[in-house]
Amino acid sequence: MKTIIVNLGYFIKESFITLKTNRLSNFLSFVSITLAFFLLALVITTWIVSLQIIDVLEQEAEFNVFFHEAVDEPSRILMAESISDISGVVSTRVVGEAEALQRMEEILGEEAQVLAYFDENPFDAFIEVKVDLAQSEAIIAALQEIPDVRSIRDNQQVLDQIRNITRIQQFLGTLFIVAAGAATLVVISHIIRQGIYHNREQINTLRLLGAPESFIALPFLLVGLVMTVGGGLLASIMTGAAINMGYAQMSGPIPYLPLPTQVVLIRNTTFIIVFLSLLLGIGGSVMGLKTSKES
Amino acid sequence: MITAENLKLQYTDGTEALKGIDFQINKGELVYITGPSGSGKTSLIKLIMGEEKPTSGQLKVLEHTMKTENPQGIRDLRQKIGPVFQELKLINGRTSLENVMLGMRFLSIPRNQWKIKATEALDKVRLGHKILAKAENLSWGERQRVAIARAITRKPRLILADEPTGNLDVENAVNILNILNSLRDEETTVIITTHATHLIDETAATQLMHIENGLIHLNGGSHS
Repeated sequence: MKTIIVNLGYFIKESFITLKTNRLSNFLSFVSITLAFFLLALVITTWIVSLQIIDVLEQEAEFNVFFHEAVDEPSRILMAESISDISGVVSTRVVGEAEALQRMEEILGEEAQVLAYFDENPFDAFIEVKVDLAQSEAIIAALQEIPDVRSIRDNQQVLDQIRNITRIQQFLGTLFIVAAGAATLVVISHIIRQGIYHNREQINTLRLLGAPESFIALPFLLVGLVMTVGGGLLASIMTGAAINMGYAQMSGPIPYLPLPTQVVLIRNTTFIIVFLSLLLGIGGSVMGLKTSKES
Repeated sequence: MITAENLKLQYTDGTEALKGIDFQINKGELVYITGPSGSGKTSLIKLIMGEEKPTSGQLKVLEHTMKTENPQGIRDLRQKIGPVFQELKLINGRTSLENVMLGMRFLSIPRNQWKIKATEALDKVRLGHKILAKAENLSWGERQRVAIARAITRKPRLILADEPTGNLDVENAVNILNILNSLRDEETTVIITTHATHLIDETAATQLMHIENGLIHLNGGSHS
């Protein structure tokens, strides 16, 4: 360990000499690694966003319980209280006709003018029921048992569809991470093998002088790390720019989409990419060193 | 320090490089191993350096039994040796100073001593004015001297010089041999292989070993 610390400057210098030896080949490899990490970062970003959307939708999961017109104000309150007692129900609230209209006006924004064509308020009163989604089926069954309940509107189907899409995305994402990881490993191990081949005379001299294998290997390990972490950082910067552009595009048409904040998304993606690049850099370098030694 | 008993080396292609040689080299000796090209001199150096393992017989170098020594043991042994290789093995693109310092980086020599020792050694071989010259820009004789400087800074117990006079004119060859002869002291053994027998100062040598066709034909010298 002491040998490594006192020779740190030498190792860094040697690794840059190795990088400069095959300038074009190493530059192209660096570009490939950066692009692989950029694509990986985009997959991870989409993953994080969809998980966030699911999470927010699940937290805000609610059923709308509509009742017969004959049910008066006090009975609605009593009905809401009885619904509160159902296991899995988080809270209930009676939404009157006027509030239902107001909500729709807020959602429609400028388009709300269309509501003026109705002679009277077209919206019914209902009970807003916030629920624990894990118990949604039992809650629906219990709600259907209540007399005077006319219909129940749940967003179960929408959530199920989003969950399905997320599952497919997770599968494809995992597949992509494995593929991009394997490609990076191969590229890095190839660079290391190439570096070892070009420096075989120097390596042989060091061995004959009694240098430990770790002393010989460290500059090559640093080459792998510089390439992958450098590629990872550049890919993170590109991803940051892509996220900013994406948010600027999305903020107009779908302002109520529960997206994570840009800063959090960029920070988390950068952390994952840099961590992965570090891991793949070490893995690729070790693989390159091992295969070179064996051959 | 080095003992060989019925030492044989046969390469995988069947070539018998050494056919059963016996010798003993003690601490503080200056030994010349002579013989024509292909006689087995470099093979013997390779065995001493642990580059090859004996096919049969015994070879002990600085308490290391070469036939059974593991890689770590070979590394430990090599750290006690100051080699001057036939092909010199300097690193191109690095200065004389960097090449000399490279030999010390993984030994137990304190970091603050590397540059001082390297500069002193280069001064000793009369290359103090070329410490910042790149290895590839030096003449063969100068490169030879950098290799010697690299060997001596390691404070080795054994200096092994394989054909250090090859590719040199007589004046430079004599200079190199004089430098190597001067490195021998009570603690340091020097072994030099050469085919240029006319350049050897026989009075300085403690042993003269003549190898021909894989066998020692003459083993003499002023102290043996």
